[in-house]
Amino acid sequence: MGRYVALRIGQALLVVWLAYTVIFLAVQLLPGDPVTIFLSTDAAVDQATIDNMKRQYGYDQPLPVQYFAQLGGLLHGDVGYSLASGEPVAARIGGVIGSTLALALSAFATAVGLALAVVAAATLTRSAALRKLLTNLPPLFAAVPVFWLGLVLLELLSIRWGVMSLFPDGSFLSLAVPVFVLGVHVSAPIAQVLLKSIDTVYNQPFIDVLRAKGASAAWIFFHHALKNAAGPAATITGITVGTLLAGSVITETVFARSGLGAVVLQAVTTQDVPLVQGLVLLTATVFVAVNLLVDLLYPLLDPRILKSNGQGSPRALGV
Amino acid sequence: MAIQESEGSRAPRRVRRLQAAALLGAAALLLTACGGNAGGTTQSAAGSSEPVKGGTLVYAEVTPINNFQTQSARFYEKANVLNSVLDRLTYFDAESGKLVPWIASSFKANGDNTEFTFDLKPGVTFSDGTKLDAAAVKANLDALGKGVEKAQIQPNVDFSAYKSAEVVDQDTVKVQLKSADANFLRATSSVAAGLVSPKTLELDNAGQSDIKQISGSGPFVYESEKPDEEVVLAKRADYKWAPETAKNQGAAYLDKVVVKYLPEVAHRAGAVQSGQVDLVRGLQPADEAAVASSGNQVLPAPGIDLTANTAAVRIGSGKLADEKVRRALQVGIDRQALKDTVLSDSYQIAGSILNHKAPGFVDLSADLAYNPEQAKKLLDEAGWVPGADGIRAKDGRKLEVTVTTSNNSVVIKPAFELIEQQWRAIGVKLVNRAADNTFLATALQDPKVEFFGTRQFAYGGLGPVFGPETNTQTLNADKELNALFADERAAADADKHKELVAEEQRALVTDKALALVLWDEVQVYGAHEGTHVEFTSGTAPIFQGAWKANG
Repeated sequence: MGRYVALRIGQALLVVWLAYTVIFLAVQLLPGDPVTIFLSTDAAVDQATIDNMKRQYGYDQPLPVQYFAQLGGLLHGDVGYSLASGEPVAARIGGVIGSTLALALSAFATAVGLALAVVAAATLTRSAALRKLLTNLPPLFAAVPVFWLGLVLLELLSIRWGVMSLFPDGSFLSLAVPVFVLGVHVSAPIAQVLLKSIDTVYNQPFIDVLRAKGASAAWIFFHHALKNAAGPAATITGITVGTLLAGSVITETVFARSGLGAVVLQAVTTQDVPLVQGLVLLTATVFVAVNLLVDLLYPLLDPRILKSNGQGSPRALGV
Repeated sequence: MAIQESEGSRAPRRVRRLQAAALLGAAALLLTACGGNAGGTTQSAAGSSEPVKGGTLVYAEVTPINNFQTQSARFYEKANVLNSVLDRLTYFDAESGKLVPWIASSFKANGDNTEFTFDLKPGVTFSDGTKLDAAAVKANLDALGKGVEKAQIQPNVDFSAYKSAEVVDQDTVKVQLKSADANFLRATSSVAAGLVSPKTLELDNAGQSDIKQISGSGPFVYESEKPDEEVVLAKRADYKWAPETAKNQGAAYLDKVVVKYLPEVAHRAGAVQSGQVDLVRGLQPADEAAVASSGNQVLPAPGIDLTANTAAVRIGSGKLADEKVRRALQVGIDRQALKDTVLSDSYQIAGSILNHKAPGFVDLSADLAYNPEQAKKLLDEAGWVPGADGIRAKDGRKLEVTVTTSNNSVVIKPAFELIEQQWRAIGVKLVNRAADNTFLATALQDPKVEFFGTRQFAYGGLGPVFGPETNTQTLNADKELNALFADERAAADADKHKELVAEEQRALVTDKALALVLWDEVQVYGAHEGTHVEFTSGTAPIFQGAWKANG
């Protein structure tokens, strides 16, 4: 177990370092350095001004020096300075990440709950028509764009009926509605995969044995089928973190909430490269961390993982 | 689609709004389709009755901003807030077209525009209690002209001629320039030349960018904020130094202004109509009719301090190196069609690179009239002949040109879609990358991308906009133009200066055709009924004079 965990953590760190390197190289491929790009969104600036600012932020150094200086800073949690506000990138992101986390985590819990409810109802119902309806819900959820649902709900709830504000005001609805909008979207892939793997599990002989022993449908579903079907759903849940982040950005914009969404929007429109760099690195890190977590949870769902040689991702087993 | 627009009934509008929401990705298409006939525009109702004192005005900006440092990159989001927090030495009065006293009770230049003397209003204080005296003005001018090195703050581009300032006495400052600059006084009226407390100038970069820590002498002071969600400003009860022409010479009528953000364009009309905000910036042309017909107000604020919206020409790819080609494209744009289909009555077709109300504007509209036949003739003369697909070619190269713009303007992308069709008729292919910020990041500095669609503050005249080698419009220092800009800046005589400004416009628009002008810059605001507000020549709302009928 220890070897497995160490290996997975080592791989995760490697991926983050590679991501950092790729981001660094991608920035070098842009014509002009971050300072020139940032200042050029305004009126013409003279070269002395550009040179001066480049010196202040260290962009006049040779590339290897910049690379290691930035990497060294990263190890101390220093991701450089936002060119637009002069504020450290870490502080800028840290200031708003709480709001995004609250949204994303609540939406994630909603998504998992929604997916479980849909799948349980679809599996346990005796009505074929209802089952058909329920199994068609996840594709519908996936097809509805986050911004569209958000716009329609705000148009109805805020502008037409006046029951909530267009702006976040701390009321229950001002958090619940965006959480629901994002949750619906994120639940779709989880529910789809879970439905499919539940189907597979139900075709296995042990289900027949359980039925023959007289176990109730609900008992079979909650005590046996769900755990066996959870693997692929956990994998897809790890992958939805991307959807969750992108969805948060869109949801925040639609609902005028503060958070990473507003920062991304600002960073891109003002061409604040160090801030964009920090945001991309954060996204990569979150992605890696969540997938690491899923990898570490896997042996708990399926002990066979540890009996294999421990190389590569456990998901290669195709449980 | 005009029929749909003219239907005033409630249901179809709702349906259309929902469609608009559904088609946000294709919003440009919708704009093109529904844009015209947005009649019923109302002008500001300010002055129609006695101002009501008290109350809170809720204002929705487009995107949140967290850098409020005075002179750095000039965005509307920032200027619209700072305009109420910072005063300036001078004020541009749009009505008379003249600079009038503000913090400077009088100002004068020496004979050759190299030395300026400002007499200051006595008794003005910053909100932190510091006196706004000659020493404070000198500290500000030094920061504007030379930057603040220890806080990594760069100089203001319009102050490039600044040399030094001298405190003559407590209420008098004398400024020396390195070289004559006929536009220097105008530059002191810009929000980006707003005066801050000397204590603010002592802060580091992050501190000077932080609205909490900025102390000005303006009619409103910072009260509270929720980062990226709102900024609350409260009136300064002892304010009594408004610009000379302001109707309200005392403290603001409003008690508070709450600045919120509505990045989502589809909500802006609804926000005003439902009364959730009193004022919103960035109304889409397609929403104007609905706002006006519901008894609310559509308020176009002309951008007199800015250039017109323009497609600035870069000649790096060589395809537009010949003036004839550029002139052909200039007359190959049907601006009236642009207004009728994409824009609205709030927009005015450009008559020059300057705004119609800008000092020194010359009307070149006769030279800008749509003339596809002349365009074809010019292209023929330049040696570009139509190929089998209708696109012209020369030496094996097709006349295919690309435009880049930011996504800041709600109308820029559909505008270039229409121009794409118009140019196709004269055998030119336009690759429309408007509103694509990712492309802009690289295209902005790429002289091979033929057009940059934008508008820019021009407080320092047209020279800083189109002159330097690093200018983002043309990415090219044109020798003849720069000689003209230099003469203009050095012109001591007012009439001579005006003549040279006219010459600059003719050079940019007609002779060299380096700026394909489209429409005058305007910011269209929506205001809830009963909201009275006017705007500066830089399109910022003047909250000091604003009031609400219901208090």
